[in-house]
Amino acid sequence: MRRNWLGLRQTVNRNRTQVAILAGVTLLLLFALGGMSGGDWVITVLRGLAVGAVVFLVAAGFSLIFGLMDVLNLAHGALFMIGSYVGWTVYVRPDTAIDVITPLLLLAAGFGWMPLWQALLARVHLTSGVRRAAPWAGLALALALFAFSATRYPIAAWNPDVYDASPIVYAIAMDSGQEVIAQAPQVDGVTAALSMAGILVAGSLAAASVALVGHGQERRARRGEMRRAFTLGLALALSGVAVYALNEPLTRLIFELNTTWRFLIAVAAAVASGFFLGGLMEMTLIRPLYLRPIYQLMLTLGLAVMIREVVITIWGRPQITMPKPALFAGTGTGCPAQNLDDLLAHQCSTISFLGTRIRTYNEIFIIVVGLIVLIAIWLLLQRTRIGMIIRAGVQDRQMVEALGINVRRVFTFVFALGVGLATLGGVLAGPALGISDDMGESLLLLALIALAIGGLTSYPGAAVGAVLVGLLQQFIIKYGQVGIQLPFMTEPLKPSPPLVPASAVLLMVVVLLLLPNGLFGRKE
Amino acid sequence: MPRANRSAGILRRHGGALGLMIVLALLPFLFGLLEGASPLAVWNNQAGASKFYEGLLIEVFILAVYAISYDLVLGITGLLSFGHAMFFALGAYLTGILLKSFGLPLWATLLAVVGAGVLNALLFSVVLPRVKGITFALVTLGFAAVFNIVIQSHELSDWAGGDVGLQNVPIPTWLSPSDERLRFYFIALVFLFAVYWFYQRFVDSPTGRVCVAIRENEERARVLGYPTFYFKIVALTVASVTAGLAGALHTLYQPIVSPTIAGLGFTVAALLMILIGGIGTLTGALLGAAVYRLVDFFLLRFTGSSSSFLIGLIYIAIVLFVPYGIVGTWRLRNVEWRTVWQERLAQWFGIKESPQDLAPPTTEQPPD
Amino acid sequence: MTPYNRHSMNNLLEVLDVHTSIGQFHILEGVTVNVPRGSITALLGRNGAGKTTTLKTIMGLTPPRRGQVLFDGQPIHAQHTFDIAAQGIGFVPDYRAIFRDLTVAENLQIAERKAGDLARKGELIFQLFPDLKRLIHLRGNQLSGGQQQMLAIARALVADNQLLLIDEPSEGLAPIIVEQLMEAIVQLSAATTIVLVEQNFAVASQLAKHYVILEEGRSVRNGLMTDLVHDHATIQRYLGVM
Repeated sequence: MRRNWLGLRQTVNRNRTQVAILAGVTLLLLFALGGMSGGDWVITVLRGLAVGAVVFLVAAGFSLIFGLMDVLNLAHGALFMIGSYVGWTVYVRPDTAIDVITPLLLLAAGFGWMPLWQALLARVHLTSGVRRAAPWAGLALALALFAFSATRYPIAAWNPDVYDASPIVYAIAMDSGQEVIAQAPQVDGVTAALSMAGILVAGSLAAASVALVGHGQERRARRGEMRRAFTLGLALALSGVAVYALNEPLTRLIFELNTTWRFLIAVAAAVASGFFLGGLMEMTLIRPLYLRPIYQLMLTLGLAVMIREVVITIWGRPQITMPKPALFAGTGTGCPAQNLDDLLAHQCSTISFLGTRIRTYNEIFIIVVGLIVLIAIWLLLQRTRIGMIIRAGVQDRQMVEALGINVRRVFTFVFALGVGLATLGGVLAGPALGISDDMGESLLLLALIALAIGGLTSYPGAAVGAVLVGLLQQFIIKYGQVGIQLPFMTEPLKPSPPLVPASAVLLMVVVLLLLPNGLFGRKE
Repeated sequence: MPRANRSAGILRRHGGALGLMIVLALLPFLFGLLEGASPLAVWNNQAGASKFYEGLLIEVFILAVYAISYDLVLGITGLLSFGHAMFFALGAYLTGILLKSFGLPLWATLLAVVGAGVLNALLFSVVLPRVKGITFALVTLGFAAVFNIVIQSHELSDWAGGDVGLQNVPIPTWLSPSDERLRFYFIALVFLFAVYWFYQRFVDSPTGRVCVAIRENEERARVLGYPTFYFKIVALTVASVTAGLAGALHTLYQPIVSPTIAGLGFTVAALLMILIGGIGTLTGALLGAAVYRLVDFFLLRFTGSSSSFLIGLIYIAIVLFVPYGIVGTWRLRNVEWRTVWQERLAQWFGIKESPQDLAPPTTEQPPD
Repeated sequence: MTPYNRHSMNNLLEVLDVHTSIGQFHILEGVTVNVPRGSITALLGRNGAGKTTTLKTIMGLTPPRRGQVLFDGQPIHAQHTFDIAAQGIGFVPDYRAIFRDLTVAENLQIAERKAGDLARKGELIFQLFPDLKRLIHLRGNQLSGGQQQMLAIARALVADNQLLLIDEPSEGLAPIIVEQLMEAIVQLSAATTIVLVEQNFAVASQLAKHYVILEEGRSVRNGLMTDLVHDHATIQRYLGVM
């Protein structure tokens, strides 16, 4: 007990700046209590924490990736946005989501057979000219074949250009409980089978082309590895066909589920897609550029632009809403809830507290999830071997390798994890903040600010920075409504809404100038 | 005799640029002829394809000046700034506001733009001793973001037009982009080549060499006794002023100012342009700006809304497969090609190559 | 010079005419080092002679441009660092490279290649460096320089390594700690082959059986340490001491 306390004092002494700043922030928060009613203050703090939780989910992944592999992933905001849109699709249009699974699985099957293509191509001797041109030709052919086949596969799609069939209308329909299962175009069995075969071939062709890029450099796959790859690909392809066969019952099953369950499935789908996309991105795009960091920066910037365009093409430009799951949407009898029992019994959307209403999803649920993730990742970092390798690798990658550990494999995992966290943030933010094509950019900016404040590679720094940014933003918004009574001024000062992001950015600049390594950053 | 030598040297060094300038000066008339319009009609700014392409090229010239100024910061001096759009946007907005709301004459406006450019560069420089590398990138990103937000804010909307931007900036009639476009075209062309010539001189000057040394290894440059901080200020100031003037020209040509030029996207555009052309080559910035604007134009025309997706794809392909850009790759190839052929010639004819021939032409490598 | 086309089973490690560049600088321009089994080989030379780069080249951290590195007769110079290390080479770099955010215990755990490595080697490690046992829950950044050096060596002992590469163990440490380290290294050399880079000739001459002298990126002399200590001309010329 006594030793612990001494340890605390040591920590305080060593981190005087941090402690002083945290104390200052706490004082400011308490001071703010004087300017507004208790209920307003609580709700502003909760909103700040909720925004902080979302920012934290993005910032944590960003800082893990930057810390371990020095990649400043500027596409992180765009990937956050992907999480929102994927979650929205699974949640609001599960029929479309199920239709899309089959082509995706078939594509993945082609890539799952990658070791087979490598082994096959290793037996073929190619002149250097062919080796250079063939991947491009193969990729182009695969793309054309995929476009041709996928458009013939039955998918119940929406059309962002036609209002009646746009995502906006589907969201409104779901919110008002009048949703219908969209009709997929009727396609006979032969066409469907042919289009599935086409997609499978396209995937294989694309994988073979990619394999050809590293032709002759990759080591030969072992026999067991090849057998495993074959089984994996076959399993993927077969499950794709199975999803096609079971399409209708599956769709009906999901539509009969409570929206809370649907939301859970949507969250799982968003996280899984982020995990997958992150792993894929590291393996294909980031890995060739580890020796050229500035180019990585540019690459992720370009990727951010592209992802945004893809999102606009598929889901359209306007903001779309994502209804809240049933657990947080109750408005009937007993709502707003007066106490916790009421809340659980009626699943209210709001709870009364100190004369104001607190929204359970926006201001409680998001914070709770943020806390759970904070602790889970902390446990992963502190208590597992892979976490130990990550912490060691953040400091000295070469030394970790010199101990006989393949850090590259950890890179892929961390990248996938980081992007998975961002997409989790995206799907959680969907019902609270709305979904639009510029959400990624603004959140990336907030995450960058949070990290600049907390220290670019520090995990606790990401959490503290995110919370500070969230609180600052929400308090300025609140004061914009209430007005600040400054001394020597007759009129209360009311900052206008656009100044909110500006103030956060200014905070970042000031902190960076005072502490170039952030609050928790280490001097190198 | 030395004088003649010198002018011959200038011709040899800048012959290509001069030739290109003459070709570009004749281009509007060529477009006119292709369409069947007489040179006189082109001279009188009659509507037609020639006038349209003049407009497109003016945009290219303005972008080229903007790109070359970013190349000086990132490619030559090695400062990773994500706030370059602010240099351009400050010039553009200041021109618009001074002409529209304050009715200043053009010369005074341009003078103010130059002054503001210097101040802007000083603002960026103030943080230099404290932050480096990625932190500098974040701080400059922050400055530009604040500028972007403030310029769109409600408080400034009387002058800057809020999120719609500045509309209907009054342009002196002798420079009107619609009635006197050919004159505008020549002015933009001369401005571009003046900037290019100045930048070439700058990079070849002792100051420019120190900037390159800073990019390669700042610590070494400092140990050699150069106050690297001041050299960075000089580079930033030169870049800021030229980018500000490019912004002024942008306002004069458009004559509207949209807030998009203050966003991060516009800095990325500059990055893309110098990446296409080749980082740290100056010439590449010009080429990159032309490719960027023309590809954007034709893609938009033929593929519609998916053009920025395709541009992103091209961008990623360049980063992965052509990292040195057009000019950088060409120079590297050129060196390889020359050494290969010199070896072959030496083999065939038993020629002993003189060491001077073997010295490769100076190739500037991109950072990292 | 040693002929380098003949592999001798007696040598655990052979570095054969290795050339290494970092960026555009040619650091090594022909280094040949033979490391006989079961003894300490010292790499000697002035600052900047290429000793540290030689170790890094062996580890694959700065892969050679030319030449070969054979470990137990097998070429390893084209492999990844982690593959090289996993074959049984432990590395103790000159900057110690303790993981500052990890505790002493974690610093040792991370070096495990098989489950239970630490349990088996713990006794040996704590017998060599009893201090570490006391400090086991402290973080790397709370240790003194000497303690960090001990931990760095201990970390290389956790896995079953046949060869240890130790870079400048005595640098910047108090004489009493240097003595303790020397004792530990002598004990280790009974079971493990060691390549030692050492500026301090007095230390190196006491520990090592063989030596290789590097000068401007080339190996220029090698032989038995017992011969070198009497060869004042060579010492004067290449090491500039005594």
